[in-house]
Amino acid sequence: MSVMKLLRLRWSTRWAASLTLAAVCAMAVPVRSIADDGADASADAATAAGPVTEEITDQHLPFVYTEWEHFTTADGLPHDHIFTVKADGNRVWVGTDNGLACYDKRTGTFQSWKEEDGLPWRVVTALDVDPKTGDLWIGLFGGGLARYSAGRFDHFTQLNSGLVNDVVYGVAVENNHIWAATTAGASRYNLVTRNWEIFTEKNAPMEEIWNYGVSYNDGMVYLAVWGSGVLEFDVSTERWNMYLPTDGEMEINLYRDDGIVHVITTGTSYVDKILWISTYFGASRYDGRHWRGYYAHETGLPNDFIPSVKGRSANEAWFATDQGVGAVVDYPTDTWVTYTRNPVTQRGQAVIQRGERVLKTVELERCLPHNFCNWVEFDGDDVWVATSKGLARGRGTGYFPRLKAEPSLDRDLVVGADAAPSVISD
Amino acid sequence: MKLRQFQAIGLILVLALVGHVASVRADDLDIPEQVPVSPAMREVLRVIHAAGTYDIPDLPLRQDETYTTSPDLVPFRHVEPHIRFFLEQMEYTGPGRGKPEPEHVDTVKIGFLGPIEPTVSVATGGVSHAEYLGVKMLQGAKLAIEHANDAGGYFRRNVPFELVVRNDNGLWGSSGEEIIDMAYREKVWAILGSIDGANSHIAIRVALRIEIPMMGTGNTDPTLMETNIPWVMRCSGDDRRMGYLLVDYMYRKLDLRRVGIIRASNRFGRFGIREVIDGSRRLGRPIVIEMAYPLGAKDVSLELDRIAAANVDAVVHWGDAADGARILNQMRARGMNQPFFANDRCATDAFVEIAGENAEGVICGFPWNPDRECPKLDAFRTAFRERFNEEPETQAAHAYDGMNMLIWATQVAGLNRAKIRDALAFRTEPWPGVTGDIPFSAVLDDAGEVYLAKFENGRWRYYSRQDLEIPETMAGLPDTAIEVGVSVRHP
Repeated sequence: MSVMKLLRLRWSTRWAASLTLAAVCAMAVPVRSIADDGADASADAATAAGPVTEEITDQHLPFVYTEWEHFTTADGLPHDHIFTVKADGNRVWVGTDNGLACYDKRTGTFQSWKEEDGLPWRVVTALDVDPKTGDLWIGLFGGGLARYSAGRFDHFTQLNSGLVNDVVYGVAVENNHIWAATTAGASRYNLVTRNWEIFTEKNAPMEEIWNYGVSYNDGMVYLAVWGSGVLEFDVSTERWNMYLPTDGEMEINLYRDDGIVHVITTGTSYVDKILWISTYFGASRYDGRHWRGYYAHETGLPNDFIPSVKGRSANEAWFATDQGVGAVVDYPTDTWVTYTRNPVTQRGQAVIQRGERVLKTVELERCLPHNFCNWVEFDGDDVWVATSKGLARGRGTGYFPRLKAEPSLDRDLVVGADAAPSVISD
Repeated sequence: MKLRQFQAIGLILVLALVGHVASVRADDLDIPEQVPVSPAMREVLRVIHAAGTYDIPDLPLRQDETYTTSPDLVPFRHVEPHIRFFLEQMEYTGPGRGKPEPEHVDTVKIGFLGPIEPTVSVATGGVSHAEYLGVKMLQGAKLAIEHANDAGGYFRRNVPFELVVRNDNGLWGSSGEEIIDMAYREKVWAILGSIDGANSHIAIRVALRIEIPMMGTGNTDPTLMETNIPWVMRCSGDDRRMGYLLVDYMYRKLDLRRVGIIRASNRFGRFGIREVIDGSRRLGRPIVIEMAYPLGAKDVSLELDRIAAANVDAVVHWGDAADGARILNQMRARGMNQPFFANDRCATDAFVEIAGENAEGVICGFPWNPDRECPKLDAFRTAFRERFNEEPETQAAHAYDGMNMLIWATQVAGLNRAKIRDALAFRTEPWPGVTGDIPFSAVLDDAGEVYLAKFENGRWRYYSRQDLEIPETMAGLPDTAIEVGVSVRHP
């Protein structure tokens, strides 16, 4: 029984009983023999699997985040609807529906900016930090692009710069360039020459110009373009490549692993030479040669409606969905951990799956502040999740990549006495 | 398309009886008695009103068995795909239902986005071309607002509805900024619009992020609803359904063998014609030639040379009325007398004015039947004439329906965008519009019947699939291939 189907049962008592039974049954069944080094997430990224060294059984389990903190307006956030979060050393930047915030990990306090504080527009949908300067680049939903530096906001719009449109969905820093994914094309700002480039259907292989997300890593810029799949821009050659579904149909995906799962893409994340893609119709992984499609009915994805994805390695990626977070944590064995909040009890749950088979369910006093998730950010071993009703931090104490034989989950079940279920009032 | 969504009514009633629904009593729903609500819908509203920040209404989702009108038209129909989309209704799972209503409002604002002023549209082919449609759409929306205010406005607060109007300027994707402005600055509760496919796509993506209901009334782009956005609805038939009816008629009824296409070289032409191309191929009659022309082209002889050389039995045009009429005239002038099919934008007086006698026999897809006998439609026509001193056309009629749907949803749901959305998404009966009954499909698109409009004896007449007696399958057709040069005069 998949997690999506389980959610349909609205967390009934029968649901819990089914899970327990499934977990008990699954633990007794060995799985296929697949490589697992249990530690090195970056090894052999292209194939994502090393030599066969050990038989993977149901006792091989991933790390599960069991310690979660919630942050809301009560903690100093300017708004509870969180669109994006960006970790930068001891600072964590937060973009909300009504303001920008910065969390100081040393003091545990927030500083926030609204329009009256100089923020050019209230809705912050994208953030990235320039590693050279520490400048914060801010995508404003309907307000253009802003740079926060030295306590000042610089404002770039389609009327005073080469920004193609003021509705900015994504921002990425690429060397000396700032990329902005907007609703009417992409813009690239050269910080040295101060020149702007605009990319639309005129000069890039965009079937549609509705850019939804942009990411940069390791010499490659990826644009998630709503209606135009994923566009790849090789910085060294300045050449474009385009990834579209092979069947060309909106209403079906003919074969799961023959290409990107759908043309309505929302996000990309390129790490260890692996491209992770989110769409509103499932997710994809691409290693440069092979594709793998993911759907909720056969994986730990809580739902196929996925606003964004964040890759951690060739083997691990977290998908923010509208019904929780699904993390594929060991690609070769198709092992997932799904984090959700029980809307009735307000408690949380982490479900470990291998494919669609539930291996173990971990009940949590606290998990996500809301199941509608917009963004995931890694911060060392910790993880931040932006939801439509609060921000969450999962503590990664003791984190290990991929799988371990019989990790001690019992300690994970013990949470602090102060971790009471949270209900965020309006 | 066979729908099962209304089977849910019984289940909802049972749920209500056994007490699984919310604790809100019927009286507490505070639905004004002037607002029509069926008993089944009342139970649905009770569930919706009980939902809070962390809840998803526990209501049955609409389920469709197929996404097409005929098994023959399913893509790759000989292979079972890994997954099919659009068969189950999308849910909104966010916290919006928990947002409290504002304490004070002077008016209840509803947004309008449409092309009502000339502009330059980069996204749609360079020139502004849809204002004549947008103005009609605005008239229909205005009339619905005025009728609602004449009837007492927003009953719960005893304040009027207010229409917030924005021009859909296609330049550099500004439709998205207009949606943001209406949502954040004007604080509208829902938005109606637009017409242009590209601009509408931009608008709905913004509506998704903002979480505001958006009703499409004049955009026939099939892909608009193929985006899995739970906030978007449409109350008119699209190019997909109209295209499939044209395809069925051309091949199953007329047994045409070689069909050529001439279409506008913009997104509207490219996407609108796609279902005709796909449907033709799937029925074993692939399109023999497709030519694109620039918008407003005065001379399409080059395109027609190619089409004539392809020895086609019929020509399908997809584009605006004026372009279509000019193309038809040029075809006839050079002796190309093949049947001429077109999209719904050509089934207009504007087309006939330019085409003159050549309009006789032209057949277009059409999203509704303006000839049907319906007191509500008659009343709408009368009111429209009195208000605007002209006859309403299809854009006005659909906008009137769409705006009335938004007004109804606001009346029954209250001032909460998520619950306004829910009221429409979980509506238990088709909306009884002036354009006919509007039942929603799983993707919240109008799944009602579409028609073919044929210009006969100086006027447009409208034929349903049943009127046309289109065979269910391709098999067993007599060999009645149309001779080249013979115009089809009757359905």
